[in-house]
Amino acid sequence: MSLIEATDLRKQFDPPKGVVAVDDLTFHIREGEIYSLLGPNGAGKSTTISMLACLLKPTAGEAWVGGRSVSREAHEVKKLIGVVPQDIALYMDMSARENLVFWGSMYGLSGAELNKRVDEVLELIGLKDRQKERLQKFSGGMKRRVNIGVALLHRPRALYLDEPTVGIDPQSRRSILDGIVAFKDEGMTILYTTHYMEEAQELSDRIGIMDHGGMIAEGTHDELVQIVGEEAKVALAVDHSLERMLDTWKQVPGVTRATLENGGMILLVNDANAVLPKLFEAAGGIGVRITEVSVAEPNLEMVFLHLTGRALRD
Amino acid sequence: MKKALTIAWKDLRSTYRNPAALAMMLVAPLVLASLLGLAFGGEAGFSITTTKVVLAAEAGNSEAAHFESVLTGLNDGNDRLVDLSRAESEEEARNLVDAGESDVAITVPADLSEVLIDPSGTRSASVLLYENPTKTIGPAIVRGVVQQVVDGLNGARAVAYGAGVLAFDAGVREEQQIAAIASRAAELYARGREQGSGQGLTVGEPRLPDAQQTKNPGVAGQVLIGMMVFFMMIAALNVARTVLDEDYAGTLPRLFTTPTPQRIILGGKFLSVFLVVMVQSLLLLLAGSLLFGTDWGSALPVTLLIVSGALAAAGLGVFLISLAKTPGQAGAIGTGVLLVLALVGGNFVGGAPEGFFSTVRRFTPNGWLLEGWLIAMRGGSPGDVALQVLAALAFAVVLFTAGVLVFRRRYA
Repeated sequence: MSLIEATDLRKQFDPPKGVVAVDDLTFHIREGEIYSLLGPNGAGKSTTISMLACLLKPTAGEAWVGGRSVSREAHEVKKLIGVVPQDIALYMDMSARENLVFWGSMYGLSGAELNKRVDEVLELIGLKDRQKERLQKFSGGMKRRVNIGVALLHRPRALYLDEPTVGIDPQSRRSILDGIVAFKDEGMTILYTTHYMEEAQELSDRIGIMDHGGMIAEGTHDELVQIVGEEAKVALAVDHSLERMLDTWKQVPGVTRATLENGGMILLVNDANAVLPKLFEAAGGIGVRITEVSVAEPNLEMVFLHLTGRALRD
Repeated sequence: MKKALTIAWKDLRSTYRNPAALAMMLVAPLVLASLLGLAFGGEAGFSITTTKVVLAAEAGNSEAAHFESVLTGLNDGNDRLVDLSRAESEEEARNLVDAGESDVAITVPADLSEVLIDPSGTRSASVLLYENPTKTIGPAIVRGVVQQVVDGLNGARAVAYGAGVLAFDAGVREEQQIAAIASRAAELYARGREQGSGQGLTVGEPRLPDAQQTKNPGVAGQVLIGMMVFFMMIAALNVARTVLDEDYAGTLPRLFTTPTPQRIILGGKFLSVFLVVMVQSLLLLLAGSLLFGTDWGSALPVTLLIVSGALAAAGLGVFLISLAKTPGQAGAIGTGVLLVLALVGGNFVGGAPEGFFSTVRRFTPNGWLLEGWLIAMRGGSPGDVALQVLAALAFAVVLFTAGVLVFRRRYA
């Protein structure tokens, strides 16, 4: 059963000539699953979350949360969701507890219920012993934990997390990812946006890959990887101009995609064992020496590369 | 409503936890008021230093005695406006001024009495004033008083001459009889002047009602009230700016994702502006009473002025913030507009301005509030400040409505 549904969702800023951030987006999220929207910056992930959080009105199409329309029943939808924004949105001159009490009040909690829930969330995010300290004294990771804790106060049925691990240390990142799995285990439905392939791969029951405001592929990790079939990713570095080699290697039989990324070159190839010698041969033929090579099994990044011709982090 | 109060309380607490905000809201107006109050001589009003006057006249000069009497009459109890001394000659008096030992020298000519009673009316004599040019207020007052006495003498002389001519025309030929009539006429004129009968000039205090206005608001109090109203508006602007700060920091959009209606969120933010300014006003009034001994007036008019002032400041703050899109813009636009309003409204000058400014200031909420405060400090009743309170409330309603409409469109 779907908790979240979007049909032909579209958002254009300053119509009719403004940017179309989300275009004809249709997807659904089942109750209790972790669904990741994966895509590069500017793909439309945050705009999608904003519409599902009733912050932005769709230009066209409709979305429902728990059967409630985000356009017409925003107040009811907001009771069902908890939103963790990409940037930390808290009051730095207030303590962790004061923040949680304030936000809990905004979610309609009060009195003993509010205090009890604040205690539980402080326990959950591991900050009970530092609850009276102002947030300005907290590390980035601790602030992120409070940022998530705020969205959990009213026990939402759906939790939206918009790139919650951007710019934090590995330890805090690990803590957040483990927490998200724990929320799922409690029955919460998670909508997670990221441009980190590894996170989507690790966390998600299903993944929607977005690009230029639209959904270009959707499914489980295995389903998505099957899109690229038996292809493997070959990463190469050379001692000459990459642009020159790009044109050369694109002509090699078995190479389906070739793109430049992070000072190296990424190729999708049908049969790595057969293609690799040909790549060396083509390079040697024009006097170029290959300085580094690696072969990777199919993954989400390859799916994105396969579908768009661009690397996920472009 | 509970959520609006929660938001307002959160903002109130944040504002009063912020040392910079506290300094701007409470310390700055008190310090400025203290400095300006000291510059103008403290609570009792403009304290003008005693003017040293030397009167040069020969002994027995009856008109000199008249001048002496009028000048010493300026001194009221312990407040000595004039310190009068005598000199034998004009030269001696001038030397005293040149030496800085006197501020003004007045020379009364020996023949002044004769000139005044000369029946032909053709003779003339001049009272000479010699002033220290570096002194301004005191000598100016002395000059005014001397001029007044001379005018009186000229008037008496004109009356005496006129009476003599009329008596002659009526057939009186006896010289002594004519002189007696002229003298009697001059005497009656002088008495009339003293009693103020027939006086054609009435000095009033514009716009100040007739209620028991017996109190002197004092310079420090007037300056502090100007500072208070100005800094109330600065505080309102700063607190209203937190709407933009929160938008920028992401907490406002996050608030919009909670099941709290937008009108409650914005209402809570605007309520916080009002509460912050209210608390600030009360603290400043208290500080004014304790530090300067200022009497702000009766409780009810003071309450009406505080509430209407806080509402007007909140309305203005919300409106100014609605014109800006970033906190930086809000600071620049808001501060500029508030300074202009303060200059036009008269926040930086004590008392009630006259002429053009007394009209222009009424186009500002500051002007109305300052007017109201002056009336209250002079002992005005709630009825006396009603017009000023209503005007401030009208500003509050208009500005607040305009600001809210802009915000509703922006966050729709």
